[in-house]
Amino acid sequence: MVEPGKPVGMSLPLPVLLGLAWFVPGLGHVLLGRRLRAVVFFIVIVVGFLAGLFLDGELMVPHPGDPLSYLATIASVGNGLLFFIARGVGLGQGVVTSASYEFGNTFLLTAGMMNLLLVLDAHDIATGKKDW
Amino acid sequence: MLDHLSLMVLHGLLIAVFFSFLWKRDKKERWHYFWKVFGALVVGAIVLGWVMYPFPLS
Repeated sequence: MVEPGKPVGMSLPLPVLLGLAWFVPGLGHVLLGRRLRAVVFFIVIVVGFLAGLFLDGELMVPHPGDPLSYLATIASVGNGLLFFIARGVGLGQGVVTSASYEFGNTFLLTAGMMNLLLVLDAHDIATGKKDW
Repeated sequence: MLDHLSLMVLHGLLIAVFFSFLWKRDKKERWHYFWKVFGALVVGAIVLGWVMYPFPLS
């Protein structure tokens, strides 16, 4: 039951809220009533993600024998739904020979890390550590 | 659009907007913080590039 005047996100179980915040960039903030910030975050992350794909970046998956690829995978999967859609349609394979490959990776990884920071921010708002 | 400087500026722009909205509450604070982060990223990278220019020493 949602209390009147209280954002929907406040009445969701915390893990569900954080899962939704990760899955769609900005959704956690929408559910917590921070709409302006949610829109800005969504635009920033989607633009960064699309720029990364356009620049032939790679959506990392673990490569055996390459420990850093595991960290990169966490950042890539941090993009949530965007990651799964792009992988699903065959984008984000990465073109190593492309001049912009590293730039693309940088955009894709930072977009994912920013989305993970949004999950932490949503956590702080939902638990009352941040009141705005 | 694909030159290094443009991509660096776009990246700096996205990062600066993101953190100014993540960490600052009011509009004035956000603008101030945005320019500080954006300037640090873009100007800092250019300065660092020039500092590294003579290397490796031949």
